[in-house]
Amino acid sequence: MSPSLLIWLVGGVLLLAAGIVTTLLPRLRTRTRATRVAWSRARAAIDSATVSRDAAAVRLPEADRLLARAELLAAEHGGTAAAQAATEHARQADRLWRAQS
Amino acid sequence: MAGAVVRVRWSRQLHLLRWVLLVVAVLVLVVFVLAQRQSIEVSYGQSPSSSVRIEEGAAGELSDATVPSTQEMTTLVAADSVVRLPGAVAHWDEQRVREAIGDADIRILVAPPGLDEAEHERVREVENATVRVIGTQVSGGGLVATPDTLAGWRAQFATHDVTNQLAALIARLRKAPAPTERGEVRWREPSERELATVLADLRTGGSHVGRGATLDGVPEQVARTAFPDGAWYVALPAQPYGEPLPAYGPALSRLAPDQPIVVMYGGWIEYHGPAAAEFADLAAVSFYAQAGSRLSRYDYPQRNVLGAYLGKVTDVRYAGLFDRPLPYRPLDPLRVALPALPWIFTGCVAGFLVLSARSLRRSGVLGAAGRARHGAGAARLAGLTALAVEVSLLTDARSNPALTRGIGKLQAARSALDDGLPARHVWELLDEATAELDETARMVGIASYRPASYLQGRLS
Repeated sequence: MSPSLLIWLVGGVLLLAAGIVTTLLPRLRTRTRATRVAWSRARAAIDSATVSRDAAAVRLPEADRLLARAELLAAEHGGTAAAQAATEHARQADRLWRAQS
Repeated sequence: MAGAVVRVRWSRQLHLLRWVLLVVAVLVLVVFVLAQRQSIEVSYGQSPSSSVRIEEGAAGELSDATVPSTQEMTTLVAADSVVRLPGAVAHWDEQRVREAIGDADIRILVAPPGLDEAEHERVREVENATVRVIGTQVSGGGLVATPDTLAGWRAQFATHDVTNQLAALIARLRKAPAPTERGEVRWREPSERELATVLADLRTGGSHVGRGATLDGVPEQVARTAFPDGAWYVALPAQPYGEPLPAYGPALSRLAPDQPIVVMYGGWIEYHGPAAAEFADLAAVSFYAQAGSRLSRYDYPQRNVLGAYLGKVTDVRYAGLFDRPLPYRPLDPLRVALPALPWIFTGCVAGFLVLSARSLRRSGVLGAAGRARHGAGAARLAGLTALAVEVSLLTDARSNPALTRGIGKLQAARSALDDGLPARHVWELLDEATAELDETARMVGIASYRPASYLQGRLS
């Protein structure tokens, strides 16, 4: 194989690889960041709900159930959709307890 | 500020440059791939000489001569050791051939030139003929004897002399050592009267056709490409065997030194005049080496032989071997650029790679990841934390949950900030913490502890 042909082959592969890497890496990074942000939000919401539950005077089975589900989701540590669901459950439970106190 | 603007513009140009490099690299790659097409076109420097295939008989190479049946020829050959059929043209030095034959039983059948395929077949089927001479082609025992020098071709085509071929073939058939070639064509000076007649014809019409010659006009187009400045053509019939040839070429060259002169003796063509030393032998050798076999067997009219010869001269001219200048050929930019293409391509790839790495680093994927961005978010977090600490001294059971929730949000904001999460998210968490602390302050009942006024107070 002539060196010239090698240049074309290696160059072509490099171009392709550079294109793929520069497209995929930022996209991957954005996705992991979005997931982390969603879980950060979910954890904050669960913490708030926990505090509200401890402060609440009466037990609310409905709110308990919602919080338990949110905590279960957080324990499984899924993707962005799971984090959003957990956030939603925790906020709803929080609202229920706050309405009681 | 101005520096930042310049940097932004510079960065945008680099980004553009990256894609320009990619496009150039792909273009170069495409050009390279297209240039890989193999070309099989062969020409003598794009010579315009025609290379059209000609059908058997279409060039007038068949003569009226015919041969008897195979049976009759066999009988003739059995009766006589040398049989000349009517129309036969070949001659030879009988003394030399007899010496070559010696005491072997060699029978020679001499047929006329210009036979068609069926007549050829009939001659080939005469099995008791050891040597067959068709036209001036000498064959026998599966072998064909042909001259391989200009002198040999000259003798064969100008005077139909086949002595050397016969001697060589017979020696070969008898497994005797090959004889030396002899019997060069002899020349004589043309007489004053002959020269005057020819010169008068040439001066008026550019060509002279001797008595018995078959030239009926010079093929114009190929004559123009072979000799763009015109030439004189002298056509003579094949000269009788054994007699010296009139050397018109040198004699005419002496009279008109700058005039290209083409002299034909039967199927033999000579060139005299300018640049003769540069190409005449070359053109003759390549022409007779290629066409000699057909010329010897067939009876081509002189016009067609001349046309083919002039085509060869055109090829030689376009090959750039004599008589410059060559026809103009534009520079092919692709051929010139081709060796540089891999380097251009390599440069483009390298540039694209560097700029890609730069773009990755700028977007924070490489190297810069995880660096905490301290800014407005951090300041607000510090202020709200201080407020939470201060207000925690005053809270009671009713306002404690809000404060705890606020502190929880602040902790979440802190860890988000440390993890390098987007500032917008940090701000969102701080907003929630602010709302909780605001509620706390409302419950405690101290307006200056409300985050808005507290932070304003801290700032001032």
